[in-house]
Amino acid sequence: MAQGLVHRGRGGAEAGLGVTLSPTLLLDVVVGGFTTGGIYALVALGLNLQYGLMRVLNVAHGEFLMLGAYVTFSLHTGWGVNPLLTLLITGPTAFAVGLVLHRLLYAPLLAGGAAESLESRSLLLSFGLMFVLQNAALLVWSADLRGYSYLAIPLRWLGTVFPANRVLAATIALALGGAFYLYLRYSLTGKAVRALMQEPEGAQLMGIQTSRIHGLCFGAGIAMSAVTGSLVSMLFELTPFMGLPYTVTALVVVILGGLGNMLGCLLAGLLLGLVETAGVYLASSDIRLISSYAVLSLILVLKPSGLFGR
Amino acid sequence: MSMRRRQFLTAAAGAATVPLLRTRARAQAKPIRVGYTMSATGPYAVGAGITQVPNYTLWQEQVNTKGGLAVKGEGRRMIEFVTIDDRSEIETAVRFYEKLATDDKVDLLLPPWGSAMNFAIAPVAGKYGYPMIGPTAISGKFKELALPYFYTMLVQPAPQMQAVAALLRDLRDQGKIKKVAVAYVNDLFGIELNAATGPAFKAAGLEVVDTKSYPLGAKDLSPVLRGFKDAGADAFVGLTYPPDNILVTSQAKEVDWNPAVFFTGVGTAFPFYRDRFKGAEGVMGIAGWNPKVKFAGAKEYFDAHVKKHQKEPDRWASAFAYASLQILERCVGEVGLDRPKIKTMLDATEFQTVAGPIKFTKGENVTTPGIVGQWQKNEFELVWPKASSTGAAVVPKPAWA
Repeated sequence: MAQGLVHRGRGGAEAGLGVTLSPTLLLDVVVGGFTTGGIYALVALGLNLQYGLMRVLNVAHGEFLMLGAYVTFSLHTGWGVNPLLTLLITGPTAFAVGLVLHRLLYAPLLAGGAAESLESRSLLLSFGLMFVLQNAALLVWSADLRGYSYLAIPLRWLGTVFPANRVLAATIALALGGAFYLYLRYSLTGKAVRALMQEPEGAQLMGIQTSRIHGLCFGAGIAMSAVTGSLVSMLFELTPFMGLPYTVTALVVVILGGLGNMLGCLLAGLLLGLVETAGVYLASSDIRLISSYAVLSLILVLKPSGLFGR
Repeated sequence: MSMRRRQFLTAAAGAATVPLLRTRARAQAKPIRVGYTMSATGPYAVGAGITQVPNYTLWQEQVNTKGGLAVKGEGRRMIEFVTIDDRSEIETAVRFYEKLATDDKVDLLLPPWGSAMNFAIAPVAGKYGYPMIGPTAISGKFKELALPYFYTMLVQPAPQMQAVAALLRDLRDQGKIKKVAVAYVNDLFGIELNAATGPAFKAAGLEVVDTKSYPLGAKDLSPVLRGFKDAGADAFVGLTYPPDNILVTSQAKEVDWNPAVFFTGVGTAFPFYRDRFKGAEGVMGIAGWNPKVKFAGAKEYFDAHVKKHQKEPDRWASAFAYASLQILERCVGEVGLDRPKIKTMLDATEFQTVAGPIKFTKGENVTTPGIVGQWQKNEFELVWPKASSTGAAVVPKPAWA
């Protein structure tokens, strides 16, 4: 068994775990962490936007990722649309769906209740939504595994190889996440969003339209989830039940990064990806979940407001 | 006179009862209720939807078209399924099987999909005396537990891995491979097959350069594969489950690794796998069956499956799922619905099925050998054992498509 833990043939000094550390291994871990973390960051950003702003814990967040993935799969395999181009379809469509959902379901539900009951109400609603969406996908696409190959080619760099599609997906995810962060930071709407997060009453007094901003943010959150789904569909097989693990990971990232903190969320996503990948390379694939929850527990004990929280 | 009158009355009464009896006979031929749970949702839904459900419904349709299932001494009775989605939750399945046996009092029970699921409900079968023939259960533990009413159709871990070992030894002796690397999923299936792999490969004198496990639902196996590649392994043995099976195959190509032997576990025999990887030319996997086998009804079964479901049966357990129903059908035809009698017949008979002859010894199908298949020109050729093969192994496998 101990033999199984040794990372072979990479030359260099033996590290404590019986692992041979070398520049190539380091590169493997960093790039691997980046490709996993980029996806985590984008899906978590969407959840953070909803939870940080409205205290709506959308358990169905991952279901929109699943739907985005299926739409891309169908467009690509059915009509030969390039998976990257489908982002232009899944993103705006999901945004519109988010606006409608907010208007029809969440806004009436959240209007005029005591602050404490908002979270539990929205939780119940999104649980219901999760089951509806899962079963709808089951009816449309059935439980069969679905998938396709896109850019499944090796990318050679500095003496080691990486899957081209993963690097591409993570780069796009991070670019979108970064662009959104800059938008929040410098645009007027972005400033309004941040004002609402920091001081809801004060922001309203300054004339910021809460309901409009809420709707936009809900839509944007769902759009990010769906776009992540489009990217994920290039990498993994799809099932109607693939969403929930992403919701859980997104929640971990949001807590790590600090509630409502977008930059923290991006960095925490990358960090989680890095920690998981390092665990996989240095010890075993089996400790992937253990390492991510260990980080979460550590943060909750040492800094409950999150790594980058105030 | 009185005699004649009595005779007349008897005759009249007899005549009057004839239609009565006939209606009663018709009323008595109520459907046979067959209960089972199936994972329509959750992680097991993929396998259940490919290997088990299509065969259950195909069999039901075929039998009911003939007027029902022939029951000894009763004539034909239609089959009615009593079923529920167990949501891939083991406790839900166990509860429902308890209900089927005690509350619904169904006539027969069929098993759910998957090793872990079958493992959990097998004791229920024993408790209420329902014979159950599990077509998708693979675990050495069934034998250890010696459950009297539970039967397994598939080749169990030890003989399966011995077959893989024998094939690899043969290839090594021909100088086609040297070093073997093993990866297994950390789930009942992977753990048990890996446990059987060690002794089998050791006995075959194979050099295993690395063995790695990974969790169910793994998202990135490239570190594992790159480790194997760097260790110079030229034979990959993956004891995988469907989602990670697809992942490990696509990632092997992505990290530019094309070992001479690429063997994977559950899912390789699915037509979906072949279509997903443009033919998957040269990939090996656990096999059980293909439409070229010489058993009676095999081709008819294949055609009927395609006709009803517009998809091919998989090349491992599908035919065994169907065969388990053929076995049950024959038992009911010969001994009726008396379950202890069905059990006695199961224990004593060799059955001829679309998956070949099947004989149970202590609940385990001991007739079917461990089989290895390989995708060659869109068919999963059975390449080992040589005696019953439908094609010769192509090693080294061609480059990834």
